[in-house]
Amino acid sequence: MNEFLTLFLQQLQSPTLGFLIGGIVVASLGSQLAIPDSIYKFISFFLLMKIGLTGGIAIRNSNPSEIFLPALAAVLIGIVIVFISRWTLGRMPGIKVPDAVATGGLFGAVSGSTLAAVLPGLDAAKVPYEAWTAALYPFMDIPALVTAIVVASVYISKKTGQAEKVEIWPIIKESLQSSAVTALLMGVALGILTKPEPVYESFFNPLFKGFLSILMIIMGMEAAQRMNELRKVAQWFAIYAFIAPIVHGFLAFGLGLIIHKLTGFSIGGAVVLAVIAASSSDISGPPTLRAGIPSANPSAYIGASTAIGTPVAIAICIPLFIGIAEMMLGRIN
Amino acid sequence: MSQQVWKLVIVAEEVLSKKLTKLIKEAGATGYTVNAAGGEGSRNVRSTGEPSVSHTLSNVKIEVLTGTRELADKITREIEKKYYADFSIITYIYQVEALRDHKF
Repeated sequence: MNEFLTLFLQQLQSPTLGFLIGGIVVASLGSQLAIPDSIYKFISFFLLMKIGLTGGIAIRNSNPSEIFLPALAAVLIGIVIVFISRWTLGRMPGIKVPDAVATGGLFGAVSGSTLAAVLPGLDAAKVPYEAWTAALYPFMDIPALVTAIVVASVYISKKTGQAEKVEIWPIIKESLQSSAVTALLMGVALGILTKPEPVYESFFNPLFKGFLSILMIIMGMEAAQRMNELRKVAQWFAIYAFIAPIVHGFLAFGLGLIIHKLTGFSIGGAVVLAVIAASSSDISGPPTLRAGIPSANPSAYIGASTAIGTPVAIAICIPLFIGIAEMMLGRIN
Repeated sequence: MSQQVWKLVIVAEEVLSKKLTKLIKEAGATGYTVNAAGGEGSRNVRSTGEPSVSHTLSNVKIEVLTGTRELADKITREIEKKYYADFSIITYIYQVEALRDHKF
C-alpha cells in the first residue's frame, strides 16, 4: 500500500500534472497570461493527429478483430454514463433533468487532452498497451452525446406533451465532423493507409510532450475560469463532477479487465479505456450539446466538466489507474 | 446614388452562427456580415477575449442589410420562434443609408 502511495505521488509530480496545476494557479491569481485561441486549436489538432497516427500505424501491424470487444465496451460505457447521471444527479433536489442529462453526456464524451495525457504516463511507467486503444475515442464519445440528446428530448417532449422527433444522424454527423474526431480519424486513416513514419519520427513524436504541457496550462487556466460559472449553479454539479470520473473510470477498468481475461487485451489498454471513460469532453461536446439540448444550462455542464471533471480525470484518475495497473503487473507487492 | 435600407443586427451565441446565417439567406437576404462579439447580458458575461476552449461561451454579431422592413421582420420572427427561449440572443434594427444602391 505504501509503495502504491509512493507511485501515486510520483505521478502527481509528472510534468503533465505540474503544468495543469500551474495553469490553475496563475489563472486563480488573476494573471494576464493569455494563450491565443488559434494556438490552442493547433495544439489540440496536433496531439490528436499524433495519437491517431500512432493508432493507425498500430492497427496496420495488428489484427483488426482485436478492437471489436473494447470498442463495444466503449459504446456501452458511453451510453450507461448518461443513464447513471439521469438517475443520480437528475434525482437530486433542485436539479433539472435536462441539465443532469447534458452533464452526463459531457462526462460520457471524451476529452482529447486527457487522452493525450494518459499515453505518455503509461509510457513513463512502462505499462504496455495497444496503441490503437486511442482509436476507441469516437466509440465512446458519439454514443454518449447521442444518448444524452435523445434522453433529454424524450424527457422534454413527455413533459410538455409535444412529441418532437429526434434526428439521430445529424448528431452523429456533427460529432464526426468535429475538429477533435476529424483530427483523430484522419491520423488513424493516414497511419493505416500511408507510411507516415518519417514525419512521425521527426515531427509528431518529438514535439508531442512539449505541446501537451502547453495544452495542460491552457486546460488549467480554463478550469480556474469556469469555476466562477460553476459557483452559480447547484452544488450537486460540483459533487457529481468530482465523483463521476472516478466511478466511470472503475466501471470501464472493470470491463477492460473482463476483456483482458477473455481476449488478452492488455492491462494498459484497460487503463486507457478507464481514462477515456473518466474524461469529460471539453472541445467538441459542449457545442453539440448546446445545440442538441438548448434548454439545458451550459454553465452547469461546462462548469462541471471543465472546472472539476477534467482536473479530476487528469490529476486523480490517470495516476490512480496507472498505479493499479502497475500493482496488477506485479511491480508492487 | 444612395438608398434607404434596414440594418438588422443580431448578437447571439457563436454556436448558432451557422444556423442563423443559413436562416438569413433562406429568408431571402442578399448577404450578411459576421463579427466576433463580447459583452455582458442577462445570461452572464460572454466574451471573445478570454481563451475559450469550447466556443460555447463566445458571441457573434451578425449584421444584415435588407431593402424592406418586411424581410427584416420575417428574419426576426423566425429567430424569435426558434431561438429566443433557450439562447443568449438579442436583435435590433435601424434604418441606414446604403451608398451602393440597387444592391438590396
